[in-house]
Amino acid sequence: MPEEKLTSIREAIGMVPDGATVAIQNMATQSAPMAAVRELIRQGRTGLEVVALVGGIPIDLMAAARSMDRFTGAAVSMEQFGLCQAYRNAVESGEIVVQELSETALNARLGAGARNLPFLPTRGLIGTDLIAINPDLVMISDPFGGLDVVACRALIPDVALIHCHRADRFGNLQMDPTAVWPDIGIMPKAANKVIATVEEIVDTEVLRKSPERTFLPGFMVDAVVEVPFGAHPTSFNPRYGYDTAFHQEWIAVARDPEGAELWMERYIYEPDTQEEYLDRVGGVSRLEELKRWEITS
Amino acid sequence: MNDELSIDWTVDELMITALSATLDNNDQACNGMASFIPVIAFQLARLTHAPDLVWVASAIGLDARPERVPASTLEAPLWRDSVMYLEQYSTFWDIVLNGSWLQKFCVGAAQLDRYGNGNNSVIGDDYHRPKVRLPGTAGLGDMGSIGKRLFFWNPNHNPRSFVEKVDFVSCAGWLGGGDEREELGLTGGPELVITNLCVMDFHPETKHMRLKSVHPGVTTEEVQEATGFELLIEGSSVPETVVPTVEQVGLIRDVIDPDGMRLREFGR
Repeated sequence: MPEEKLTSIREAIGMVPDGATVAIQNMATQSAPMAAVRELIRQGRTGLEVVALVGGIPIDLMAAARSMDRFTGAAVSMEQFGLCQAYRNAVESGEIVVQELSETALNARLGAGARNLPFLPTRGLIGTDLIAINPDLVMISDPFGGLDVVACRALIPDVALIHCHRADRFGNLQMDPTAVWPDIGIMPKAANKVIATVEEIVDTEVLRKSPERTFLPGFMVDAVVEVPFGAHPTSFNPRYGYDTAFHQEWIAVARDPEGAELWMERYIYEPDTQEEYLDRVGGVSRLEELKRWEITS
Repeated sequence: MNDELSIDWTVDELMITALSATLDNNDQACNGMASFIPVIAFQLARLTHAPDLVWVASAIGLDARPERVPASTLEAPLWRDSVMYLEQYSTFWDIVLNGSWLQKFCVGAAQLDRYGNGNNSVIGDDYHRPKVRLPGTAGLGDMGSIGKRLFFWNPNHNPRSFVEKVDFVSCAGWLGGGDEREELGLTGGPELVITNLCVMDFHPETKHMRLKSVHPGVTTEEVQEATGFELLIEGSSVPETVVPTVEQVGLIRDVIDPDGMRLREFGR
């Protein structure tokens, strides 16, 4: 028998030390491993470097909870819900340091990490101010006589946190057809450890019926946890849409540290289980609405 | 084709038709987040002069066919009904970086200077202690440097957006003007800027931003006042921007965006 990877969210997140570099799946309002992010905050993790392509509400919550002091990625935005205010305040006051990368530069850093290379080059960013301020980006000449390129130093996150549609208890991970960002395409391959939450744990025989959906083999995965609606309030196509009211509720309090603290008590610190959390966000009726996507389209 | 001009067009529709006119039948186009004007322009082009235009919705969904423009230009309702989903790390960027495809990009920037350099990073002198932290460069930092033709849109033309010099270059435009881009080996570059007041292009030699046309009812003085640097204005009179046709207005209002999502770009 392969090694069993099934565990609880508490034990899984217990593997992440203070100060770790944590790559999280996220694209503005999509597919973030929110149950894992809430647990990081519950456990009081500090000094994290968070890596994401385009971070949304998980970045704002971790900024508000002072879990992170570095962000590495291409952008932070909740798209239609606006800028992440807690994150923005923390950056403007110098509490969070940003390493801003273009998409190809982030992909190159992660790609080098995944393939055990010191760096990979890109032709993106040339002519911008983003190269000179970043010690992990260096202009180098082409050894074959062509144009200069930007060497992007390998990035190896300590852990990647991802949310997937299903897995077996051995950590073989499946995603249903949907948008696939680098956080699934390359991040978990670059990271030293992979912690996955999934909508459902299934028997391995279920995976065999659609092996084309399996994107990461169990031996690359360190922990797998069943968390239905684990990406809420972000969307998780095709299962459920993003939660507009919940995003707006957070935005209304995010600028005010006291309001944010009360909000986090209610939605992060107090609920002991995912069921309790889902009850607090509106229970079955809200979840049924989100499954229909109607209120988000 | 019905080319009767509309008499009740609005400026959102004018920006959409101006952007749509830059797209050809053989183009591929894609959009990013909060990009209602480009998304509607692509669909309009496809329904009128460029039926074979390939649209990669949200840089994910090939040839998407949304019933109507949804509240997000990044989420599944926009791209769910596509021919193919492009995986970002490999497929999407392989296609973009290849050099043969997706030659034109519609881009927005919080600040743009006289040479079309864009800033979506920080406002203020100190990058590490900014007055305002903006979202970040995302794909913009790539598009300015990899030979693409850039078409900027900005629904709020004002002196804080159009500045003498951007606080930080997060998208390479014509840099310091002249042949500075060429010297770095960069091809492509900014071509057109479409705002709620006017259309601007760049002088072929100096690369200085130049007034191309003003929208009906707007004066060149108003445009200059809303611009934080001296615009290049050639000749004694600047032409008016061509207004949308009755057909185009009908398609935008009734077929493509019946919920008026485009107005969100104007704070409505």
